[in-house]
Amino acid sequence: MKTLGSIGAAGVVGGSSFLSSCSKVQTTSGDKIRLLTSSGELVEVDKEQLKPADMPSLTENQKRGRKGLPGRSWVMVIDLSKCRNARECMKGCQNHHQLRPEQHHINVLQMQDAEHTAPYYMPKPCQHCDNPPCTKVCPVNATFKREDGIVLIDNERCIGCRFCIAACPYSARVFNWFEPRDAEKYEGVTYNIEANVPQKKGTISKCLFSADRLRDGKLPTCVSSCPNGVYWFGDRNENAVTNGTTKETTSFSKLIKENAAYTLMEELGTKPRVYYLPPKDRAFPFQGEIEDHHS
Amino acid sequence: MIKKINLIFVAILFIAQQGMGQEWLVPEDQKTLKNPTEYNLSNVKKGKDLYLTNCKSCHGDAGKNNGLPLVPPPPDVTSDIMQANTEGELFYKITNGRGGMPQFGSTISEDDRWRLVNYIRNYNPANEPVLVEAPPQKAKLLASVNETEKKVEVFAEVEGNDGKFLVLANASVSISAKKAFGNLPIGEVLTNAEGRAEYAIPKDLIGDEQGLVNVVVSLGEGFVTDPVILDAAKVGQPKQVPKLIKKEVLWSTNENVQTWLLLSYLGAVGGAWLAIAYVVFQIFKIWRVGKQQE
Repeated sequence: MKTLGSIGAAGVVGGSSFLSSCSKVQTTSGDKIRLLTSSGELVEVDKEQLKPADMPSLTENQKRGRKGLPGRSWVMVIDLSKCRNARECMKGCQNHHQLRPEQHHINVLQMQDAEHTAPYYMPKPCQHCDNPPCTKVCPVNATFKREDGIVLIDNERCIGCRFCIAACPYSARVFNWFEPRDAEKYEGVTYNIEANVPQKKGTISKCLFSADRLRDGKLPTCVSSCPNGVYWFGDRNENAVTNGTTKETTSFSKLIKENAAYTLMEELGTKPRVYYLPPKDRAFPFQGEIEDHHS
Repeated sequence: MIKKINLIFVAILFIAQQGMGQEWLVPEDQKTLKNPTEYNLSNVKKGKDLYLTNCKSCHGDAGKNNGLPLVPPPPDVTSDIMQANTEGELFYKITNGRGGMPQFGSTISEDDRWRLVNYIRNYNPANEPVLVEAPPQKAKLLASVNETEKKVEVFAEVEGNDGKFLVLANASVSISAKKAFGNLPIGEVLTNAEGRAEYAIPKDLIGDEQGLVNVVVSLGEGFVTDPVILDAAKVGQPKQVPKLIKKEVLWSTNENVQTWLLLSYLGAVGGAWLAIAYVVFQIFKIWRVGKQQE
């Protein structure tokens, strides 16, 4: 039995060294290879200089995904007066996070606050609360708050108990009841905790402020795909937010002060990170149908 | 039979309405409205500023036909489609919007909407253009940061007709700070007769954790130059990074648990076991006493 074990160990060691040798490209100087860069240019590179791309492993990914980007404190400001229900944010989000048509990380809702008030459109992502009720009920520490303000979920840890769905007052979380969208396409892809991709059947998913894009210095998908300038996104610590459509940068504190911004269900003490500017002086008329629930 | 005819009639009406939907009809009384603002340089210039902030994102730059590919396509300012409108029609369309075009009635004042009409009219072949855009000039921009006095010092030159660089006076230089996703404008200065300008950086500007700011200096439009980026200038306030996660707040797991909670939980469990043990011990005691008495 013991000898069998040592043979097995030797096999593993040999196998791994064989594998690592595979990842190195054979070096024969002078050989050129044609490659397409991410910007769409065809370039010729010496084969000697080729190295396998730096892909973080699952454990590394999970580790850095728990820490967040140092010194940052992400906030979103949603200007309700600009939204005309183009739903481009939802489309972009569902493509990015591999969501089925009925699943939403961000959803544009039709709202009417009281009987005689004007209805308006309200995009609703996860509020990334600073006092999140959802993370506290997770029995396996699968959902957590990062130091940069983002509330994330690790689908590799999630057991699908759905306590967090019950705890969230904003209904921001979705459950993968079925095989996720494009499941075959993403088969074998290393799980990215900062994008929740590939999605896993029987686990929770939620808006993550496109944490993978933030790491690359890009705005979240919903923010940059909006055609109407609804979203502002930025770092609260440096007091600046950038509009995803116009790319204009402005002072965060000034923006929310001058426009009387508010947060959703403030009375719950969840301290949301998503601020709303009231739907005043609307750029587009409301075209939806709202049922009268107030009479 | 009558039902069928009715249906066809309704269908025709519907199609006709759809067809009319393509054309943007403006009420007759609105068409002939007169522009109350004068067609002059200041009004057209103001109109241009308004155009750049409100319209450019869809309609693109004037004359470049680089509007967004939307349906229906937003026409270029210089296009015949745009210029075929009367001033009243332009005003009505800007005010009320349709489909993808916002209604600016609520966000831009009436006078300013007329100024926008003036700006559009600047490109009408029937009008004498008042705002003539000169081809952009080649310029040189030098800038440095005075860290002790917290000032940005700028020197600008422009290429003259003979290819020599001359001092650029009275040009607007914009100064901004690099942030996570864009440049935050912090101020503008005009160069003096020597082509120099100084800008005092506001005291409340936030930098990174050490107070370092990446200052971007650029010339206004009409000049071709690379913006000068002054990396890591120590002119800002250090960025405050408040600790967000307090251990006590998020305690769902062992590593984040609060001491009082852990102690009371362990105490309760221990107490329960002690109680059970006590009962068992008593039972054992009774059993022993019973045995002794036998």
